[in-house]
Amino acid sequence: MSAEISDLYRSLTVDADGVQVARPELVRRRADRRARLRIAGTAVAVAVLLGGVAVGGRLAFPADGSAPLPPPADTPGPLPTPSTPRPSPSVSSTLPSAESPTAANSPSGGGPPASATGAAAPRQPTSIPDRAFFTLAPANDRDMESWAKSAMLPALCGARYPSDSAVVQRRGRFLAYKTPQAPAGSVPDGSYRHTITIYRTGRADDALRELRQAVRDCPTQKLSDDARTWRQRLLTSGEYGDESVLFEMRSPYPDGMGEPGADEVRLVRAVRIGDVVTVLWEQGWEYTTAQRAQVDADSRRAVTAIENWLD
Amino acid sequence: MRDAQSFDEFYRSTARRTMRYAYAVAGDHTEAQDLVQEAFTRAWRQWGRLSEHPAPEAWLRLVVARLATDRWRRLHRWRSVLSRTGPQPDAPPPSEDGVLLVRALRQLPATHRQALALHYLFDMSVEEIARETGVPVGTVKSWLSRGRSRLAALLPDLSVEALEANDVS
Repeated sequence: MSAEISDLYRSLTVDADGVQVARPELVRRRADRRARLRIAGTAVAVAVLLGGVAVGGRLAFPADGSAPLPPPADTPGPLPTPSTPRPSPSVSSTLPSAESPTAANSPSGGGPPASATGAAAPRQPTSIPDRAFFTLAPANDRDMESWAKSAMLPALCGARYPSDSAVVQRRGRFLAYKTPQAPAGSVPDGSYRHTITIYRTGRADDALRELRQAVRDCPTQKLSDDARTWRQRLLTSGEYGDESVLFEMRSPYPDGMGEPGADEVRLVRAVRIGDVVTVLWEQGWEYTTAQRAQVDADSRRAVTAIENWLD
Repeated sequence: MRDAQSFDEFYRSTARRTMRYAYAVAGDHTEAQDLVQEAFTRAWRQWGRLSEHPAPEAWLRLVVARLATDRWRRLHRWRSVLSRTGPQPDAPPPSEDGVLLVRALRQLPATHRQALALHYLFDMSVEEIARETGVPVGTVKSWLSRGRSRLAALLPDLSVEALEANDVS
C-alpha cells in the first residue's frame, strides 16, 4: 500500500498530539526557578573566587579585568609549580634537549635521551592512559562522556599548526558537566572537548606558541555553519602547568538564545606540562555560555591528573 | 513587565502545534517534549519583548529548530550516551506510519527536516519558509527537493507526489 508524504505527516501529527504538554504555570515556574538558580550560582562562584583571594593571598586579578583566579581544584592536590620549568615527563628534573644526540633503551620504547651527567634521564611517555584524563568534581559530574573523534581546537581562520608533525600520540573525549545547582534530570550546563597530546621532546612549547599566534592572527571570523561573526582574543590564563594559553571566542547570541543582549562565550585553554599538552575547549550545551570559574577549576583538575600520571 | 495571562494564552494556543513541529524535527517524543519546554521557558524569560513580536510563534519554532540542530550535532558525538539517558515519555504507542516517517526523518539533515515540517505541518510556501529560516528561496527548494528524494529512497512504499519543489508556493 502506498502513502503520500502528507499522509505520513498527518500520522505523525496524531502521534505528537499524544505527547503530554505541561501546564503553562509550570513552565513559567520552571523558568523563574532556573533564573534564580543561575543568579545564586553566579553569586556562589564569585564568593568562592573572592574567598580564594582572601585566603590564598597569593592569587591576583588578571590584567584583563576578568574574574580572579580560583584556588586549586576543590579536592586537595599538588599546586602547579610554574616557576620551576617542568622537564619532559619524569621524576627527574633534568630538562632533555630536543637536540639530545642519543636515545637510550627504554621499556616504553620512548627513547629517553641520555643526560650529560649519566644520571637517569627523563622518560618521555609514548601512550596516554585513561587515568591521564581528569574526573569532574562530584557536584559537576553528569556521567556523560564520549570518546568520539573530533578536532582538538576550534577553527581559527584556517590556521594550521606545524607542531602537529611532532605529535607522538593524541587522545580526546567529549565530557558534559552540570552546575551543582542544576535540578536532577536537567540537561547538562556545558561540555568540553578535552584532548591530551604527547609531543616529541622539546616540541610542545611550539604548539602553544603557534596557538597564541593563531589567536592573534584571527581577531574575527565566520564559522562554516554559523552566520554570526566571532571575535577571538587572548586572556590572561593564570598559572597552569609549565605554561598555558587561554583565549575566548565571543559572539552575540542568535535570536531566542541566551540572555537578551548577552554574548555567547567559548573558552579554550591549552596547558603544557613537559612534553604533554592538554586542551580544554568549553563548547557549552544548547547555547549556554562558558563560565570562567568552572573552566579554571576543571583546568586545574586536568593538570593535576596529568601530573599524577607523569610522576 | 511580563504579563503571565497573555503568556498562558499564547502557550495554550501554540503548544500543541509547536509539539508537532518539535516531534517532526527531533523525531523523538522525549526530545520533542524537552525542546518545547525549553523553547517556552526561553519565551517566558523574554516575554516582555516577545509579546510585542510580530510573529512570536515563528520565533518559537526558530528556537525549537536551533535547539534541535544543536542536539542533532551532539548526537553524533554522544550517540551511545544520549540513547540511554532520560525517562521514556508518557505517550501512547505511535502509529505505524508515524514510526516509519520518524525513522526515515532521523536520517535526514536537520535543515531538510525543518523545511519539510514547515511545509507539511504548516502549509508554508517556499518563500515563507525562506523568510522564517533566513535562507535564500533556492536553498529552501533544494532542502525540500532533496528531503523528499531521500524520504522516497528510505520509504519504498512512498508515493512521491509529482509536485516539484518549484511548484510549492
